[in-house]
Amino acid sequence: MRRWLAASGLCVLGGGWWLVASGEGPEPRRPHFTDIASKSNFAYRTDNSFTGRKYFPQAMCGGVAAFDFDNDGRMDLFFTNGAKLPEMEKTDPRFYNCLLRNRGDGTFEDVTAHAGLLGKDLGFSFGVAAGDYDNDGFEDLFVCNAGRNVLYHNNGDGTFTDVTERSGIGGKPKDVLSVAAAWFDYDNDGKLDLIVSNYTVWTPQTDKICGSNGREYYCHPRVYTNVAHRLYHNLGNGRFEDVTETSGFGKELGKGMGIAIADFNGDGYMDVFVANDTVRNFLFINQKNGTFKESGFEWGVAYDESGNAGSSMGADAKDYDNDGWPDIFYNNLKGQIWGLFHNEGGKYMKYASGVSRVSRLSVRSSGWSNGFVDYNNDGWKDMYSANGEIDNLGEISRQRDTMFENVDGKEFRDVSGLLGADFNHAGFQRGSAFVDLNNDGFPDLVVTSLDEKPRILLNSADNGNHWLLVNTIGRRSNRDGIGAVLKLTTGSGRTLYNHVTTSVGFMSSSDKRVHFGLGAEKAIASLEIRWPSGIVQTLKKVRADQILTVTEPGR
Amino acid sequence: MRSAWASVCLLLAAHILWAQQPAAGPEAILQHAIALHQAGDLDGAIRGYREYLDAQPDSVEARSNLGAALARAGRYDEAIAEYDRALAKSPENPALLLNLGLAYYKTGRPAEAAARFERAASLAPQFKDQVTLLLASCYNSLGKYKQAIALLAPLEQEKSADQGFDYLYGTALIADGQDASGAAVIDRILSRGDSAEGRLLQGTLKLKAHDIDGALADLEKSIALNGRLPGAHARLGELLLSKGESDRARTAFGQELALDPDEFVSNLNMGVLAKKDQEYAEARRYFERALKARPNDPGVRYQMANVDLATGNPDQARKTLEALIGESPDFLEAHATLATVYYRLDRSADGDRERAIAQKLTDQRDAEQTGAKAR
Repeated sequence: MRRWLAASGLCVLGGGWWLVASGEGPEPRRPHFTDIASKSNFAYRTDNSFTGRKYFPQAMCGGVAAFDFDNDGRMDLFFTNGAKLPEMEKTDPRFYNCLLRNRGDGTFEDVTAHAGLLGKDLGFSFGVAAGDYDNDGFEDLFVCNAGRNVLYHNNGDGTFTDVTERSGIGGKPKDVLSVAAAWFDYDNDGKLDLIVSNYTVWTPQTDKICGSNGREYYCHPRVYTNVAHRLYHNLGNGRFEDVTETSGFGKELGKGMGIAIADFNGDGYMDVFVANDTVRNFLFINQKNGTFKESGFEWGVAYDESGNAGSSMGADAKDYDNDGWPDIFYNNLKGQIWGLFHNEGGKYMKYASGVSRVSRLSVRSSGWSNGFVDYNNDGWKDMYSANGEIDNLGEISRQRDTMFENVDGKEFRDVSGLLGADFNHAGFQRGSAFVDLNNDGFPDLVVTSLDEKPRILLNSADNGNHWLLVNTIGRRSNRDGIGAVLKLTTGSGRTLYNHVTTSVGFMSSSDKRVHFGLGAEKAIASLEIRWPSGIVQTLKKVRADQILTVTEPGR
Repeated sequence: MRSAWASVCLLLAAHILWAQQPAAGPEAILQHAIALHQAGDLDGAIRGYREYLDAQPDSVEARSNLGAALARAGRYDEAIAEYDRALAKSPENPALLLNLGLAYYKTGRPAEAAARFERAASLAPQFKDQVTLLLASCYNSLGKYKQAIALLAPLEQEKSADQGFDYLYGTALIADGQDASGAAVIDRILSRGDSAEGRLLQGTLKLKAHDIDGALADLEKSIALNGRLPGAHARLGELLLSKGESDRARTAFGQELALDPDEFVSNLNMGVLAKKDQEYAEARRYFERALKARPNDPGVRYQMANVDLATGNPDQARKTLEALIGESPDFLEAHATLATVYYRLDRSADGDRERAIAQKLTDQRDAEQTGAKAR
C-alpha cells in the first residue's frame, strides 16, 4: 500500500476526512472483502466432474443467482452445478444445485431440498436467471442446462414447482447447450420475456478429444457448431411462445455466453448484447415491433479493435461515466483485451479499453463472469471480473479476481491487491453475482470456483460513503421493474445513472435492486425513474443510506 | 550472420579498387582515396572520392568506391544514392547491383535488396553462390517462405554442414508449416552443439505446438547464447504476448528493435499494442516502419486501416480496405471491418454486402477447423 501523501490532497467534506482518489493524490479509503462462506453449513461445491478426461462443457460450471425468494428482505443465493460425465446426470448429491436462505446473521441455511431445487432430474447445469415472470411478487428461476432447461415457479411458500412443460419455455433444438439467460420485457407489455444464450450442439457421445504431444486440452470452440440464441415471449397465464425465428434471433448463429440488457439507443425499448465465444458478438437492437436487428457491425461491438472475434465471456451494460448512455463491458481470455465500449450518444459504440487503461490491466487475466459495480460507493461504477484459466495447463492457470477502480469515469486502475486476501483467492473462478447481502448499502460479491465452495465476500463497508438502493415494483410495467432507467441527481448536482436488470456477467443473476454510491454526499435532490411502460416518475429530496421501495404510479 | 555476409560487400569493393589504374592529376587523387579507403580512413577516402568525382563525375568505379566507403562507414542512405547514380551510368553492372542490394539489406529493406540480388544473379551467374543465402534471408524477412525454400532446397545436400544455410532453411520450413522437415534441420543444427540459432528454431517450433514453457526455455537460452541473434527477441515477444505478458513483450520487442529498428515482427506487434492502448500516433509510426521492411504487407495495411477508422477517418480506412480486398478477396477481417466502415459512412447496402461476405468466410474457416488446436 502506498503511503498516504501530504495534506495538500486532503479536503474536508461532510465532517470527515475525504481523500482524493485521482492523479498523484493520496489513496482513498476503500473497503475490502471477507469470505463468510465458512460460517455456514452447506455442502455445495462447484463440481464439473473432472476426472482427467476433458469434456468440452466442464469449463463452464457454477452459475449463481442472488434473489430474495422468500420476500423477507434479505437476498438469498442459488447455485447451479454440474453432472457426472459422461452419464450427464446428477447421479450424486455432489452435483445437486443449491439454494441458500439468508438468515440475516451472516449465515446461510441450505434449503434446496425443501424448495424442490436439487435438480436431480437435470443434466449438467450452467446459468441461472431470476425474475418474477408471472408478476405474483415472488422471484422465479430459469436454469440453463445441457439437456432440458427448466423454469421453476416460486410458489411463495418456500417451494418451487417445475413448470417447464406447461409454460412452453422448455423447447429448444436437441442437444443444444444453454449456458445463460436473461429476463427482460422486450415489448413493454408488462410481462417478462426470456432470452437464452446457447453455445453449441453437444453430447458426451459427440465430445471431441483435442490435444498434442500426449497432452489433452479443451478443444478450441471452433470445432463445435454455432447455434441460435432463443427468445421466448411471455403470453401471460404462465405461458411462453418461442419467437426465435419471427423475432430475428434465429438468423444469427453464435456461441453464446453472457447477456447484457439495456436500452442502448434510448428509444424506450430494451436491447440485447450477447457475448459470443470465438464468434463475433451480437447486439440485437429492438425494432419496437417484436423483432430485433442484429447490429453489432453498425455499433462497432461485433469484433475487437482489430476485427477479431475473441473469446468473449461475461457481459454487462451499464453507464460507467454517468453520461446517460449505457456502455458495454465484456471480458475474455488471457492475451486478449477485455472490451470496454463507450456508447456515443446512442448511435454507436467506441472502443475505450485503451484510453481507460483496461487494455493494459486486463491482458494477463482470463475472465468469466464480470460486471460494473460501484464497490466503494463513490458514484463511479468499477469493473469486476471473476478470473481463472479455461484449462489447467499453464503455470498461472489459477487466477485471482480483479477489481478495476473507476477514476472519475475516465480510466481504471487495478486495486485488486488492496481488497483483502479473500478477494485475492486464486482459483478457476466462473460465476459471480453482485448483491447486498446484509443491506448495508455496499455491494457484496458471490463467486463460484471450479471444485471449490463458493466465496461469499462481504464488503467491509467502512469508507464512510453514502448510498441508495432502489427496489422497483412495477404495476403497468413488469413487477420487477426490469428495464426501468434511473437518474439520480445529488444535492451538489452530480447525476448518476443506472437501470434495473438481473442479468450481469456470465451464467449469473445479480441483486435486482438498483444501487447508487453517493460518495460523501448525503443529499439526493431527485430520483427520476423512467419505467418500461413509459411512465416517468420523479421523487424529490430522497434520503440517502436507505433501501427505497418505489412503486410505479398508475397513469 | 549479416556481418559475415556484409564482408562480401567489401570484397567486391576491393575487387573494383584493384582494377583502378594509377594516373597523374585526378587519378592521383583517386589513388590516394583508395589508399585511405584501404587503410580504414573512411572520411578521408570519401572526401577524396568526391574530389575526384567533381572532376570526373561519370566515373562509375569512383562512385562505386564512394558508395562502398559510405556503406562501410554506416552511411547507407548516402551509399545507396551513390550506387544508384553509378547504376544510372552502368545499369547492368552486377557488382554494383550486388553492392546496392547489400546496402538495402543492411538498412532493413529486404524487398529492395532482393530485387537487386535477383538482378545481379541473373546478370552474373558466378554471383549466385554469394547471393543465394542473402536472397533467402530477404525472402524470409519478407515472409516469402516458399520462395526461400525453393532457393535453398536444391542446396541441402551441398550445404549440409553450413550452419547459416541450415538456419535460413529451418526458419523458412517452420514458418511455411513444414514442421517435420524443420525439426530435421533443427536436429542437424543442434547435433553440431548448442547454438542460439538452433534454440531459436526449436523454441519457434514448440511455440507453434503450444508448448509454451518449453518454447520459453529455448528462446531464453537462445538469447543467452547470442543476444544479438536477429529475430530471437521478437519471437520471445510473441511468446510473451500469448501468455498475456504484454509489458515483458514490449521489452522484448524493444530489444529486437534496438538491434534492428526496422525488424518487421517487432514493429508490427508494437504497433498493435499501441493501437490497443489507443496510442494511435505511436501505432502509426510502428506500422510505417513495418511497411518499410515489408512494403505493402496486407496485415500492416489492415492495421493502418483500423487506426484510420478509430481516429475518425473512415474514408481513408475504406480506401485501404477496398484495396486489400481487391488484392485478397478472402481477407475475412478486412471484409468485417469494411462492413463497419460502410455503416459508419451511411452506406448500409454496402455494409450489408460486406457483412454477408464476412459471415460466409467465417463459416468456411470454421468448417475447415480440424480440432487439434488449443485456444
